[in-house]
Amino acid sequence: MLPSDHQERSPTLRIAVFAGMADLVGGRTVEIPWSGGTVADARKLVAERHPPAATLLARSAFAVGSRYVADDVSLAADDDVAIIPPVSGG
Amino acid sequence: MSGTRGDAPTQRHAGHAGCVCHAIDTARVLAAVGSIDAGGNVLFVGTARGTTDGAVTHALNYDAHEPLAVATLDALRQDAIARFGLVACVVVHRLGTVLPGEACVAVAASAPHRAAAFAAAEWLMAAIKRDVPIWKAEERPDGRREWLHPESAPRPGGG
Repeated sequence: MLPSDHQERSPTLRIAVFAGMADLVGGRTVEIPWSGGTVADARKLVAERHPPAATLLARSAFAVGSRYVADDVSLAADDDVAIIPPVSGG
Repeated sequence: MSGTRGDAPTQRHAGHAGCVCHAIDTARVLAAVGSIDAGGNVLFVGTARGTTDGAVTHALNYDAHEPLAVATLDALRQDAIARFGLVACVVVHRLGTVLPGEACVAVAASAPHRAAAFAAAEWLMAAIKRDVPIWKAEERPDGRREWLHPESAPRPGGG
């Protein structure tokens, strides 16, 4: 069995990122190892993996599907999670 | 909810909201709110500026969480209809690259009298800038791109 096989099976939370956050993390998604936890836990893990994004992350909201979620909400690995930094449309 | 007038029970929700990746047809946006029940029709068009505070903007680039942006735009549109007693309302935001002079956003509102239509367009633009998960970057002539994430902006959705 290849060593990467185990990695691929370990639960991962994929989080969509946009705009300046995408530039800071170097892509349109971030992946963090996920055995369950809250939005606050996900924030901490993303900040640890992407230190340059920490400041903007602290000013950002989280969404699951098309709803915003507070820091105490639990996230499942298959949730459609996104980080929403301060907006600038119009 | 029962009909407001005649045989048009959905009149209070007339119009639509959305994001597009092509030029906004502003004449069509305005035409879409026309009604024999309306006496005031307001079209606001936000366009890309070629300079901001002396710095030249080569283009604006818009990114969005599209499902959430469309849902939020439509919720604001329906809120505006209820708040201002509009006959119809259409909101369209452009995504992707927008050149100076081109439309970034168009809001049309129609109401029995003009005051409500003007007030609704102003209220909608403020709400769009505050609440909708859309972001703009200014592309400089040298190729640099700066995403705007205002310091003063509250977290969308109240955090």
